[in-house]
Amino acid sequence: MKGRLVLVAVAVGSLAVAGCSSSSSTSSSSSTSTASSGASAATTSCVATIGLEGPLTGPNAVVGQEQLHFAQLAVATDNAANKTNITIVQGDTQLTPSIAVTVTQQFTSNPKIVAVVGPAGSQEVEAVGPLMARATMPYISGSATNSTLTTGKYPGFFRTVSQDSVQGPQDANYIVKNLHPKALMIVDDQESYSTGLVSAMLPVFQAAGITVDHESVSQKVTDFSSLVAKVTPEMTVVVLPWQTAANAQQFGKDLAQQHKNSVIFGTDGLFQSTFTISGSYLSSFGPDINGIPADAAIVAAAKAKYGSFGTFGPPSYAAAHVVDEAIASVCKSGQTPSRANVLAAIKTTNEATSILGQPISFTSTGALVNGKFFLFKINSAGQKQLIPSS
Amino acid sequence: MAFFFQELVNGITTGALYALVALGFTMVYGVLKLLNFAHGDLYMVGAYVGFFVIQWFGGPAKLTIPVPLLLVIMFVLAAGLVGGLGVAIERFAYRPLRDAPRIAPLITAIGVSFFLESSAQLLFGAQYRVYNTSEFISLSSGIQIGSVTIDSVQIMVVVLGLLLTVGLRQLVNRTKLGRMMRAVAVDREAAEMLGINVNFVIAATFFLGSALAGVAGVMGGLLFNTVYPTIGFIAGLKAFTASVVGGIGSIPGAVLGGLLIGVAESFITGYISSTYTNLLVFVLLIAVMLIRPSGLLGQAQLQKV
Repeated sequence: MKGRLVLVAVAVGSLAVAGCSSSSSTSSSSSTSTASSGASAATTSCVATIGLEGPLTGPNAVVGQEQLHFAQLAVATDNAANKTNITIVQGDTQLTPSIAVTVTQQFTSNPKIVAVVGPAGSQEVEAVGPLMARATMPYISGSATNSTLTTGKYPGFFRTVSQDSVQGPQDANYIVKNLHPKALMIVDDQESYSTGLVSAMLPVFQAAGITVDHESVSQKVTDFSSLVAKVTPEMTVVVLPWQTAANAQQFGKDLAQQHKNSVIFGTDGLFQSTFTISGSYLSSFGPDINGIPADAAIVAAAKAKYGSFGTFGPPSYAAAHVVDEAIASVCKSGQTPSRANVLAAIKTTNEATSILGQPISFTSTGALVNGKFFLFKINSAGQKQLIPSS
Repeated sequence: MAFFFQELVNGITTGALYALVALGFTMVYGVLKLLNFAHGDLYMVGAYVGFFVIQWFGGPAKLTIPVPLLLVIMFVLAAGLVGGLGVAIERFAYRPLRDAPRIAPLITAIGVSFFLESSAQLLFGAQYRVYNTSEFISLSSGIQIGSVTIDSVQIMVVVLGLLLTVGLRQLVNRTKLGRMMRAVAVDREAAEMLGINVNFVIAATFFLGSALAGVAGVMGGLLFNTVYPTIGFIAGLKAFTASVVGGIGSIPGAVLGGLLIGVAESFITGYISSTYTNLLVFVLLIAVMLIRPSGLLGQAQLQKV
């Protein structure tokens, strides 16, 4: 009896600990917190709340935190410029579809939230699309690139990045024309982002007569020794369109340990500080804004507040800015921001320039018009250097 | 031929890791007839202990103690702390249900597993933690035989696994504690009537089994570098499978099962495709179970009618 009482006490205590911990902003998978940014409420009547869905914790937290920071920066800047009072509610999805659904349910049931920045992953967009559509919630992702997302299946979805159908062939053509492999290995991580890119790349390799070994491993796998052993001397390139940079780093270490000389070619999922394999190539949907003069003020503000950043932040800034401008235009027309009128305003977005160094407007299905991809190479110091486009 | 041996090396290394985790699993089942589904999460806790020991001593690039000493501390601490955690789990989660229907401790074990995973996520965060083994154990250390590479971490995993297996076998077969464990495994009530402190024996079993899982966790961290709260799920599943295939309750069976799974995974990845690894491994295991339901080294159970 005494033992059972102790057992019950431990269980109740653990539930209490879990409850207290989940009220903090970033430690729980679906917690939310309000971050107020910018102009004081006393000076403006244009008040709105937007949600941000991203992997704020978990193996891709570096990505999510950067997206959050840049979105917060955009909202703060736009609040000051437009005299609005827009606040961000954070939702941590851990890049996991099931958690993204929970977060989206919270957002859509909150009538104050009129738009969402995110989610980050293509698989998450696929999971939350029906919920967003049912709630007529506009949502703009700064990183979901699967081509099927903008075929009209997801009403209300937009993105400020290009898509796999552009990235896949572009990367594959670069590999064919500049790296000249006779054979290569391409490994997908069994998520739609990765499999979409592989589907787009394979035809280019096959048309070029390259022998391709297509492998597939789950994101949960961390032992790549057997797979690396299959890399032959002819496979001078290994393509890893993965989302988890730590896994790619381990793969690179296994290549070195088994004395394989293959070069890794990764995509935007590997553009994180945890992937530093020298000589690797990375393609990214985001430019290096350090090289865009018009972005100097944003670069300075971001570095001062958050330190160094990669290429995930700027598209999120662009996404948040599109939402902010839509809300501001709704207010200017004398209306109160709602999901319907913010959605309508986003559809008419036509920015001549942006943080990405290109205009922003959307097709009827939410794709970014004239989206581009950028190529980087990692040097011996682990830094990512832009390869100028030819 | 070199490719065959490289895959064999990889498979034996991974199999040795699975075998270590399976040993603890099968020990607990052998004595208590309990499928401890939280066992994989003890592996996870061990991996975290190893990670934090590295950080405590300056981090992988700036260690303040020699590497051999670091490794000893990692293994000893992981064994001790995880062993103690295993004893605590047995005391508070399983002992009160010892005489309950078999389903009750099974469900509790699943609950303990979720508890450990969630606790790890709350305490350590969900992000990957990285050992960065290559920063303190050089990638070029080890043996090169032709084009077959066996690095020093792989050698350590296999040798340590072998030593622990032999040590455990000796303990079970030649020590007083081992005799008591075997007695409790055969008939707990009779053992108690003969004066054996059953609670102590079961606690010792949990300590040993959990300690093995903790040591395996450190090895996993050194081999695969990344640690995260749900890493124990796969380890637990492989341990359970290895134990069943080898013969649940059999120590040599757990080792054989672990090695079989490790080698099968390696060869299927190498000679067929990584896409089909899990599928074909489990097809193979189903085939083994159909041919020999009690497991490769298990013994058929007699039932009184």
